Amino acid sequence: MSAQTPETRAPETSRMRGLMLVAGREIRVRGLSKANLVSLIVTVVIVGVLAALPTILGGGDDEAEKIGLAGTNASAMEGQLNAMGGFDITMYDSADEAERAVEDGTVDTAVADGTLYSEENPDQSLQAQLDAAWQAATVQTNLADAGLSDAEIATALTPRPLETVTLAEGESDPVTSYFTGLVISIIMFMMLMTPVQYIAMGVVEEKSSRIVEILLTSLKPWQLLGGKVIGLGVISLVNLVAMVAVGLGVSAATGVLADLPPGTASAAVSTIGWWLIALVLFGTLAGGVGSLVSRQEESGSVLTPLIMSLTLSYIGAIFTLNAPTSTFAQVLSIVPPFSAITMPTRMAITTVPAWEIALSIALLVLAAAGALALGAQLYKRSVLYTGSRLKLTEALRRAA
Amino acid sequence: MLEIKDLHKRFGDTVALDGVSLTAAPGEVVGFVGANGAGKTTTMRIAMGVLAADSGRIVYNGAPLDVEARRRFGYMPSERGLYPKMKTAEQIAYFGELHGMSRAEAKRSAAALLEQLNLTERSGDFVQDLSLGNQQRVQLAVSLVHDPEALILDEPFSGLDPLAVDVMGTALKDRAAAGAPVIFSSHQLDLIERLCDSVVIIGNGTIIAAGSVEELKAKEVKQLRVSVQTAQDLSASLPGTVTRDGDDYLVEDADDQEVLRIAAAAGRVTHFAYDQPTIAEIFREAVTR
Repeated sequence: MSAQTPETRAPETSRMRGLMLVAGREIRVRGLSKANLVSLIVTVVIVGVLAALPTILGGGDDEAEKIGLAGTNASAMEGQLNAMGGFDITMYDSADEAERAVEDGTVDTAVADGTLYSEENPDQSLQAQLDAAWQAATVQTNLADAGLSDAEIATALTPRPLETVTLAEGESDPVTSYFTGLVISIIMFMMLMTPVQYIAMGVVEEKSSRIVEILLTSLKPWQLLGGKVIGLGVISLVNLVAMVAVGLGVSAATGVLADLPPGTASAAVSTIGWWLIALVLFGTLAGGVGSLVSRQEESGSVLTPLIMSLTLSYIGAIFTLNAPTSTFAQVLSIVPPFSAITMPTRMAITTVPAWEIALSIALLVLAAAGALALGAQLYKRSVLYTGSRLKLTEALRRAA
Repeated sequence: MLEIKDLHKRFGDTVALDGVSLTAAPGEVVGFVGANGAGKTTTMRIAMGVLAADSGRIVYNGAPLDVEARRRFGYMPSERGLYPKMKTAEQIAYFGELHGMSRAEAKRSAAALLEQLNLTERSGDFVQDLSLGNQQRVQLAVSLVHDPEALILDEPFSGLDPLAVDVMGTALKDRAAAGAPVIFSSHQLDLIERLCDSVVIIGNGTIIAAGSVEELKAKEVKQLRVSVQTAQDLSASLPGTVTRDGDDYLVEDADDQEVLRIAAAAGRVTHFAYDQPTIAEIFREAVTR
């Protein structure tokens, strides 16, 4: 019979093919759905705007500050300000002229004979710069008056700056670390919450529409569940990559990119590793508990424990950010499933001993393997059962 | 050859199947008939591997039916199901691929089926936007998309309009003509009579009658119907048990040649034949027995 040709394909290939077909369908139907595309575009636009925001708001800073100088120390001031950079300097013959230039707006600020003229209160950083320049200029003038040569004055005025020696290696700015940790915890939370809910919804959809009965004549339950987890994982990852790409692209275009803390890339890669393990853990459990119910309205109640533990993990991660060395943070970042979000967050803010990281990964992988087995069993046993909600114990007692 | 052998299945205290066996030879269309709750759906679900039997076997071409072989089967479950938010053509092609077709083959086959079912212009619509009847046609396309080499269909005709009934009937006949065993259940006994080579009647989880349509009809034949143009009342003169059906005489337990002789002597015999029961009558008889 003509239909027998596919049989020649190795079963191994068709097994993978089934898995990939299911994943592909999820990506096509859910990832390319209007709802997802619209929400992705909206998010990307928001991220883009946020990334461009510092440049838009601070736009004025790029323009050179117009300064008028006159009177005592004017030429020394000019030298100092030029050294600082970012000033557009006009020299005036008298303090009066300089004052008038401020009044008619030719310059923003003027310094003459030890007085600062400004239309409004000058902003603090400008005032600090002018102050510093004034003091340096005064010292310079005084030193020159005392008979020092220009070279001697230059040496006297340029002390060697403090050299910073960081004792703990890799320890970076605490504010940046906090921020990195915060971003990691938020992204991990979102990237787990969304697929978990969609996986459960998808399972219930197939169950409530009874389509699962046709699907299971050509697919194994693990292919159906695994394909869903993979598909929704890919969608989440693509959404995240799109967001990050736009964020980094806009940052690079506006020149903010250089400010990214060092180690961002490696933190991102390791976070994706943590996320993958956590996705297997939460995703398969979501599929398993989703199969316990037959109606979409009931899916919320069975998902509650998963949503709760995700939320607790997130709260734990925030706590860790504030007390990264506490015993609680230490325990939370080792015990699955909380470790999935807590550990990468803790790693961002403090140096975690290698053995803790290794233990945490090992326990999380074990938990994910357990979840995979449990979720797949639950799914296999209850996905074809329709009617009222199955209790967990009932489902496990049912013959597959 | 598809053989269902001695299936037993209990749901809690309820015995759903108690030794159900049936076979479908290549090219044979088997009608599966039974009252609601008799065990048809359970039997078919077990055959398709959707449900596990407590005991019993499904054998296909001499080997136990496995997933690989089942993928080449066409199945329509009694509870219809489609992805509501998936486009019609895409959905049919997806099932083609699940059954092992290449993407191009599956697309081609889906397009051909949609054409056949007059749904071509709905190809790009979401299934949830189709009428119930059209959804049924899509369901039919889903079960036929991979050119199945055997068909197990649970109530394939329920909810179909006359056009779709014809398409379905033709599809069954075509698949059977190509050598596929076909098993389908239906409550529409006229369809069974028209389409099936053999009929299996199930009641309370056991097979109560099975055989070719002719065999079953022959087994049930008892009455001889005689029409005679005569003024006489032959009720008393004819042998055996005689009852009247309008102007006709219905004769049972008698030598037909003797009946003919007496009737012919009385007047002109316009009808002389054994009544052929319909499948519906056989079914009613079998179930109430």
